[in-house]
Amino acid sequence: MPKNMISFKLSNHLSELDTLREKLEQFGTRLGIPEKTIFEVNLIIDELFSNIVSCGFRDNGIHWVTINISHQEDALHIRVEDDGVPFNPKATQKPDLECPMEERRIGGLGIHLVTELSDKISYYREGDRNILVLEKKIAEDSIQIEK
Amino acid sequence: MEIQEKKLNGTSIIRVDGRLDSKTSPEFEEKISETIKNGTRNMILDFESLSYVSSAGLRIILKTAKELKRMEGKLVLCALQDYVREVFEISGFDSFLPIVPTVDDAMEKL
Repeated sequence: MPKNMISFKLSNHLSELDTLREKLEQFGTRLGIPEKTIFEVNLIIDELFSNIVSCGFRDNGIHWVTINISHQEDALHIRVEDDGVPFNPKATQKPDLECPMEERRIGGLGIHLVTELSDKISYYREGDRNILVLEKKIAEDSIQIEK
Repeated sequence: MEIQEKKLNGTSIIRVDGRLDSKTSPEFEEKISETIKNGTRNMILDFESLSYVSSAGLRIILKTAKELKRMEGKLVLCALQDYVREVFEISGFDSFLPIVPTVDDAMEKL
């Protein structure tokens, strides 16, 4: 596999979040990707993966979620593939972030984070598989988070 | 993830080290429920050593903030690392949760 790519499979178990973190940290170190970008990509894939594990399957069997990431120019291209029930994150409703705390709902927040942290998202269904392709621009070191 | 709790003038200060995601959040939820069950009304979450948070962690923080408010208590967050803070901001949590730099600042907010 070319140096600028990584590909791995996670089983449908939340303990695989540790594998995800390790793989991303190794990839980030190898290619010198800023920590901030790796943090955000980790969060994007975590939210998608946790969603698939919690809601994607109707049986108790083992399923695999395939993650592919490639580094091209100033962006990471991420592909997440699973054989769960059809789920298009782009079709979900944006949570109301303005309402008072008492009325705040937690539903949709994970996908909101994915949407906000990604630069492009496309979804398609191929046979019995969900395929999500995302683009994440790499953070410039000069950009500081506003306090 | 490691969780430590201490009491200061009736306030529970809960310090979380590590990562708060869908795998670790049940333990966090359990610890907080236990603290509230034991009578805590004012709580500080010290996130100085929290390196990561996902919506699974946010869900418990929202639930806790609502619960403490109903009991006329308060939840204050302090010492968030930059990337973690950004997650709270994108989620709009900074609009209803006090987020301050240090535990001392948090004590003043209560």
